[in-house]
Amino acid sequence: MFKPFEKLNRQTFLILVAAQSAVALLAWQVSGQGLIPHPSAVLAALGQLLTTRLFADNLLTSLLLTGQALLYAVVITLVLAYGAVIPFFTPVAQFIVKCRYLTLTGLIFIFTLLTRDGSQLKLSLLLFGIVPFLVTSFLSVILRAPAQEFELCQTLGYNRWQSLYEVIIVGKADQVFEVVRQNFAIAWMMITMVEGLNMSEGGIGALLIKYNKYNDLPHVLALQAVIFGIGLCLDYLLGELRHWLFPYTKL
Amino acid sequence: MTPYTKKDVLLQANNVSLSYDGKCILYDICFAIRDIVRPGLLQGQVVSLVGRSGIGKTQLFRLLSGLQKPDGGRITIRERVPSAKPDGSIQVYRERIVQPGDMGVIFQNYYQFGWRTVGQSLMLAARQNKVLAGKEEDVIRQFTQQFDIEDVMSRYPAQLSGGQQQRVSIIQQLLKGSDFLLLDEPFSGLDVCVLDKVVELLLQVSLSDELKTLIIVSHDIATAVAISDTAFILGKKPGHEGSTLVKEIDLIERGLAWRNDVREEKVFRETIREIKECL
Repeated sequence: MFKPFEKLNRQTFLILVAAQSAVALLAWQVSGQGLIPHPSAVLAALGQLLTTRLFADNLLTSLLLTGQALLYAVVITLVLAYGAVIPFFTPVAQFIVKCRYLTLTGLIFIFTLLTRDGSQLKLSLLLFGIVPFLVTSFLSVILRAPAQEFELCQTLGYNRWQSLYEVIIVGKADQVFEVVRQNFAIAWMMITMVEGLNMSEGGIGALLIKYNKYNDLPHVLALQAVIFGIGLCLDYLLGELRHWLFPYTKL
Repeated sequence: MTPYTKKDVLLQANNVSLSYDGKCILYDICFAIRDIVRPGLLQGQVVSLVGRSGIGKTQLFRLLSGLQKPDGGRITIRERVPSAKPDGSIQVYRERIVQPGDMGVIFQNYYQFGWRTVGQSLMLAARQNKVLAGKEEDVIRQFTQQFDIEDVMSRYPAQLSGGQQQRVSIIQQLLKGSDFLLLDEPFSGLDVCVLDKVVELLLQVSLSDELKTLIIVSHDIATAVAISDTAFILGKKPGHEGSTLVKEIDLIERGLAWRNDVREEKVFRETIREIKECL
C-alpha cells in the first residue's frame, strides 16, 4: 500500500477512501471551533435543506441551466473544433482557445446590454466561460489523432472529407464525450457564480449567496456538500454513459 | 520447372530518391515488377524487398504506398482503365504515378480503426470497391470463411490476437480491390506455427488473381525469399551516404520460386548467403 505503483483491488481502495474520509471528518469534528461549524452542524443543516421545497426548486433551476449551457456549449464547440481542421476556420478556433485568459469581470455589463433577460444573461455568461475550455480540450484531442489513422484512410482510398468523418467525427466521439465529462465540472462550478450575479431566477448559487450574506455557515457548507455530491454523481453517470455508448473504451 | 514468361511492367521505380533534413536516405532506386504468366494458372507476383534494420526499408515502403512523395524520381503503376486510343483501338491499361490508395497497405502493427468492429471495418473497405457494389456482404463472408475469422466479426481490434489482426488487415485491403498489396515486416514477432500460416496465406493471396502483386518488405531474409519470385536487396554502396538497391535476384531462374520445400535446397542456402553478403 505504501510502495510506488502498487495495485490495490477495488475493495481495498474503497476501504482506504472510507477510512481516510472518516479520519478527515473526525479531525474536523475535533478541531472545529468558533465560527467554523462542526460536521454534525453541517449534517443537521443538510437534513433541514433536503426537506424544503425551496432547495429542490433552486437545485432544479441550476441543473436545467447547466444542462442547457452544456448542450449549447458542446454544439458551438463541435462546430468550432471540427471547423478548425479546415485552414480557413483555424484562426477562429485558435482565438477562442486564447479566450481562456479573459475574465468575466468588466464584461458583465456588456453581456447585460447584449441579452434580453436574466436567463439569457446567465446562459451567455456560462457559454463564455465554458466554450474556450471545451474548444481547447477538443482541439487537443483532434491534434493528437495518430498519423496512422489518416494513413489507413488514405490506403483505403478515402478522400479528405471521408477521413475527417471517420477519424475525427466517428473515431474521436468517445474522447469528445470524455472531454465533455471532464469539463462538466467547469460548468457546474460556474453555475453558482453566474447565479450569484443574477439572482432573479434563483438557483443553487443564489441560495448559496443568500446563506452566505447572513453568515449561515452550516447551510453554506451543506450546500457546498450538495454541489460536490451532485458533481460526483453526474461525473459517474457520464462515465457509465460513455462506456455504454462506446463499448470499445472499456477494452 | 513450370514454363513462365515475364510480360508487362506492373510497377516501375525510376531513380527514386529521398532525403531528410539534407541527409540522403535513399538514392537511385530503380526496379520494375513484371506480370509473371504461367499457363493454366492464376499466378500473381511476390516480390521481397530485404535489407538490414534501419537501412530505409520503411521509407521505401511509404514511397511505394504513395503515402510519401519521393524527393526525386517517380514510381509508376499500371492501372486497368479501358480508354480509346487516337487510332480508334482500345487501350486497357495506362501508366500513372502511384497515389495513396492505389496499393493495399498492411502496416507492421496491422493498424485498424479501434472504434470499428471487424465486420464494420471490412464493410467500410468493401464499400470503397465499386466492383463489389451490392454484394459486399457475400464477398466479406467468403473472405472471412477463407481466412478463418468468421467468429470475430463483432469484435474490436483490441480483442483480437496478432494473427487475427493481420488477417483482418489483409482482407480489408483485398476487399478494397487493389492489385498491389504492400506488407511491412509481415513475419515480425510471429511464432513458428503462425509464421507458416502467414506464409500459406500470402501464397494463397498471390494465387487469387493474375495481376495480384505482393511486395514484402522484411528483414527476415529466409522467409521472404522462400515465398518470393524476385528479391531486391536494399543496401549501401561504398562512398554513398544513403541506401539503394544493390542487387536483384530472379528466384524463378534459380528454381526457388513456387515451391514448398525450397528451404531444403542447397541453392536456397547459397542464395541466402549471397544476400547476406550484400547487406
